[in-house]
Amino acid sequence: MTDLTLIVLVPLIGAIWVMVAPWGERTSRPIGIIAALVSLGQSLFILHDFDKSIGAFQMEVDRPWVPSLGIHFHLGVDGISLWLVLLTTLMVFLTLLSPQAMGLHKTRSRGFTAAMLVLEAGMLGTFLAIDLFAFYVFWELMLIPMYFIIGIWGGERRLYAAIKFVIFTLVGSLLMLAAILYLYAQVHAVTGQWTFDYATWATITLPRGPELLCFLAFTLAFMIKVPLVPLHTWLPDAHVEAPTGGSVILASVLLKFGAYGFLRFALPFFPLAAQQTAPIIAWLAVAGIIFGALMAWVQDDVKKLVAYSSISHLGFVVLGILVLSQKGIQGGIFQMLAHGISTGGLFLAVGILYDRRHTRRLSDFGGLWKQMPVFGGCFLVLVLASAGLPGLCGFIGEFLVLSGTFTAGKDWQASGLAAPMFGHPALLAGLAALAVILAAVYLLTMYQRVMFGPLDKPENRDPQVRDLGLRERLVFGVLVLAALVMGMAPQPILERTAASVQELTANYRDRLAEARANPIGPARRVIPGQRPAQAQAGRRF
Amino acid sequence: MTVDPAQIAALIPLLVIAGVGCLALLLDTFNKGRAPALWLAQLGCLAALAAVANQWMGATSSQPIWAGMWVVDRMALFLDAVLIATALLTLLVAAPFMREHDFEHGEHHALVLFATAGMMTVVHATHLLSLLIGIETMSLAAYLLVASWRRQPAGAEGALKYLLLGAFAAGFLVYGTALIYGTTGGEMSYAGIAARAGRAAGNPLFIVGVYFLLTGMLFKIAAVPFHMWVPDAYEGAPTPVTGFMAAGIKVAAVGGLVRLLGAVFANPGLALGHAGWVRLLGGVAFVTMTWGNLAALRQENVKRMLAYSSIAHAGYLMIGLVALGQKVDGAQPALLVYLAAYAFTTLGVFAVVAWVGRRDDERVRVREWAGLARSRPAVALAMTVLLLSLAGVPPTGGFFGKFYVFRAAMQSPDLAWLVVAAVLNSLVSVYYYLRIVVAMYFSDPVRPWQPFPSVGIAVVLVVTVVVVLALGLVPRPVVELAAGGLITRW
Repeated sequence: MTDLTLIVLVPLIGAIWVMVAPWGERTSRPIGIIAALVSLGQSLFILHDFDKSIGAFQMEVDRPWVPSLGIHFHLGVDGISLWLVLLTTLMVFLTLLSPQAMGLHKTRSRGFTAAMLVLEAGMLGTFLAIDLFAFYVFWELMLIPMYFIIGIWGGERRLYAAIKFVIFTLVGSLLMLAAILYLYAQVHAVTGQWTFDYATWATITLPRGPELLCFLAFTLAFMIKVPLVPLHTWLPDAHVEAPTGGSVILASVLLKFGAYGFLRFALPFFPLAAQQTAPIIAWLAVAGIIFGALMAWVQDDVKKLVAYSSISHLGFVVLGILVLSQKGIQGGIFQMLAHGISTGGLFLAVGILYDRRHTRRLSDFGGLWKQMPVFGGCFLVLVLASAGLPGLCGFIGEFLVLSGTFTAGKDWQASGLAAPMFGHPALLAGLAALAVILAAVYLLTMYQRVMFGPLDKPENRDPQVRDLGLRERLVFGVLVLAALVMGMAPQPILERTAASVQELTANYRDRLAEARANPIGPARRVIPGQRPAQAQAGRRF
Repeated sequence: MTVDPAQIAALIPLLVIAGVGCLALLLDTFNKGRAPALWLAQLGCLAALAAVANQWMGATSSQPIWAGMWVVDRMALFLDAVLIATALLTLLVAAPFMREHDFEHGEHHALVLFATAGMMTVVHATHLLSLLIGIETMSLAAYLLVASWRRQPAGAEGALKYLLLGAFAAGFLVYGTALIYGTTGGEMSYAGIAARAGRAAGNPLFIVGVYFLLTGMLFKIAAVPFHMWVPDAYEGAPTPVTGFMAAGIKVAAVGGLVRLLGAVFANPGLALGHAGWVRLLGGVAFVTMTWGNLAALRQENVKRMLAYSSIAHAGYLMIGLVALGQKVDGAQPALLVYLAAYAFTTLGVFAVVAWVGRRDDERVRVREWAGLARSRPAVALAMTVLLLSLAGVPPTGGFFGKFYVFRAAMQSPDLAWLVVAAVLNSLVSVYYYLRIVVAMYFSDPVRPWQPFPSVGIAVVLVVTVVVVLALGLVPRPVVELAAGGLITRW
C-alpha cells in the first residue's frame, strides 16, 4: 500500500473522475472528499511504514521517464517530507470537507474540486520528488490550479490577486529553472552523465561565482514562496482574495515549499553560498517576523490579519533553518507543521465568520460567543496555538527555533567551523522573541473583538449567525485535536525528523568544510565521507 | 541517364502529396461539389503519412541522392510526418470554416497540399537549388492562401505585404546562392560548400553570400527584424491558413536552417573571427523573442497576439539553431521535438480561434472571448492547455520542447545568458497568454456564444490536446524518434 506513485496518482485520478462524472455538480464534492480521504489513508500508511532510524530516503520509486536525458520518475520520502505529506493530505481533506471552501460562491463546485485535487497532486509530488525534473514539473503543476482557485472563486479583486500571484511565483520558479538547467549541464560536465538524480546533484560543488548565482536563483523562488519581506506583497492580496479553501491550502501547504526548498535544495546544493548569505537571509526573516506582527496588529480585516500573522510565523521557520543546526532545523520543520494546523484553522474560522456575517471587518463583530459557543471554543484553541501558548502546537516550534538560534554560535564553534556571521545570534533570538509577545497581543485582541463584548449589533444577532454544523464540527475537531496532540506530545514528530536532519547537517558540514578548503576549485564531485565524530553524534531530543 | 528505382521510391511521400494536390485541383474543376476534393486531399495526406512511416522503418541513409539534391534521413522523415499532419489537421479545420464563412474554393485544398510539398522539399534539400525550389513552392502557395478570403480586406493587404517582402527575401536567397556559387568554385550542394567553406571564408563575398542566404531564411522563420509581414499576414489570412502558416512554414524553414547551419556554420573555417556569428545570431535570437513577446503584450486581436507569439517562438528556436551551429550534443533532436510540440500546439490554438467566430462575427478580440468557459467548458479547457503549452508550462509538450532546447544551449558557455533571457521571456509571454484565459474563465460573456458545430474541429482539438499532453507527460517516444531511432519502449 505504500507505493509513493499511488499517493500522487490518486488525487489526479480523482480530479479526472470529478471532471468526467456524468452526474455533474452535485456529486463532485463527495467524489473529491473520497479521493482526498484515500490520499490521507495512504499517507497514514506511509507514516506507519516509515523507519525513523533511517536518515536517507525511503520507499523510493524509481521509474525511467526519459532515460536518454537522465529523467526519472523518482520519488522518495524522508523525515523532512514525511510530515509535510501528511499535513498536505490532511488539509486538503479538511478543506474539501468544509462547506465554506468556495467562499460565497455556490456554483462550479466541480471545477473547484478538480482544481483542488490537481493542486494536491502537485503538492505531494513536489514534496516527494527526488528527481529535479520531476520536482520542477510538480512545482509548476501547483501554480495553475491555485491561479484558477483565486481567479474564479475569489473575492472582488480576484483578478489582480490571481495575476500577481502567478507573476511573483513564476519570476522565482523560472529563474530556478534556469539554474536547474545550468546545474544539469554542470553535473554532466563533472560526472559524464546526464542525470537529474537528487543524490548525485547533492554531491556536486560548483565554483564560487556560479554557485552564488544558482543559490540566489533557487533562493529567490523559495523566498517568494515563504514569503520573506520584501517579497511578500503578493501574499496579503492572494490570501484575502482567495476563497476560504484557497487561503487554507495556500497558508497550510503552499507557503511551506519555500522553507522546504531551502532545506531540500538550497542548503545541500550550495553549502558555501548558503553559509555566506545566511546572515542576510536570517535578518530578513527576523525583519519579516516583526514586520508581519506589526502589520497584523493594525489590520481591521480579519483575513488580512491572519495573512500577516502568517508572514510573521513563517519567519521563524526560515530563521530556524538558517541557523543551520540540528535543533534549529527540527524546530523549523515543527513550526511548519504547527503553522499549517493553526493558521490553516484560523483561515477556516475566518471563512466561517465571513460565511455567517458576509464581512471581515473586526469592527463589525462583537459578542459572537453568545451566538456560536462551540465555534468560539475551537477558534480560541487555534488562536492560542498560533500565539504560541505552551501545551499547544505553536509553542514547540517557536521554542526550538529560538533556543537553536540562541546557541547557534556555540554549536558552530564546537563543530570546528567558524560561526556564520550572524552578528549576534542572541540578538536575532531576542528580536524574534519580541514578536511572540506581539503575536499574543494582536491575536488575542482580534479574538476579543470578535467573540467577546456586548452583542449589540443587530446583524450579529441574526439567526443567520448560527453555530457550527456537523461537518464544520468535524473539521474543527480534527484541527483542535491536532493542535493539542502536537503541543502535548511532540516526540513522535521530532524523533521521525531527527535522523534525516542529522544527515542533512552532517553532509552540509562536510561539504562546507571541503568548499572552504578549496576556495577556487572548479566544479567537482564531493562525496561526504569521513564525518567528524562530533557531527556524527548529533543532538537528539 | 538511368534512374535508380530506389531513388524514385525515395520521393514517394512527396509525389503522393503533390500528385493528390493536382488531382484535387482537377476534381474541383470538373466537379464543383465541395466534398470529393477535400476527401481526396485528406486521403492523400494519410497515404503520404503511411509512406513516410514505411520509409522510416526501412533503411535510411544520410547520403544525398538525385545528384546531391535530396536526402532521405530520419530528420527529414520526422519533419515530413509533422508537416503532413499539419496539412491534414488544417484541412480538417478549413472545410467547416470555409463553409461557415462562405468562401468554399476547391483550390484551397490543392494549395495546402502544394505548400506542403514545398515544405517537404525544404527539409529534404541538401542543395541550394532544391532549397530554393522548395521555399518558392511553399511561399507561392502561401501567398495565394492568405489572399483566398476575398471578402476580407485585411486578407488582400496581408497577402500583398507578404508577397512583396517574400519576393525580396527570395531575392536575398538567390543572390546569396549566386555569391556562394561564385566564390566556392561552382558549389551549390551543402556538402560541397562545407568542404570549401574553409578556403572560401577568406573571401568577403562568400561571407556576404552566406549572410544573404541566412537573411532569406530568417525572413521565413519570422525573426526580427524580418518579421514585419507576420502580424498582417496572420491577421488577414483565413484562420485555418494562419495556423497552417504558423506551424508549417516555421517547421519547414527551421528544418531547412538545421541542415544549412549544420553544414555551413558548424564549419570551423567559418569562425568569422572569434565565433562572431554566434554573437550575431544569438543577438538576433534575443531581439526576436523579446520583441515578439513585448509586442504581443499590447495586442487586442487574438490573431495578431498569436502572430507575435509565433515571432517569439522563432527566437526560442534560434537559440537551438545557434547551439546546433556550435555542434552541441543533442541540439538537433531538441529542435525537432520543439517543432513537433509547437506545430501541434499552434494548430490546436488556431482551430479554436477558427471555431469561435461566426459569419460576419469573427470574434477575434480578446474581450470577445469572455465567458467561453461557462458556455463551452471543454473547449476552454483545451484552449487553456494549448496556451500553457505555448507559454512553456509543464506538463505540456511546449515545456518539454523548451527544456530540451535550453538543455542543448546550456552546454555552451556562450549561450547561457540566452537561456536566462529566454526563461524570463516566457514570463512575459505567460502574461498575455493568460489574458485569453482570464477572458474565458473570469469574465461574463459580451455576446451569447453560438459557435458552429463541427466534427472536424472537435477531432483536431482532441488530437492536438492529446499530442501536446503526451509530449509533456511521456516524451520518451518522441525523444527517441527525434534522435533518429526507433521507439524501443513506450
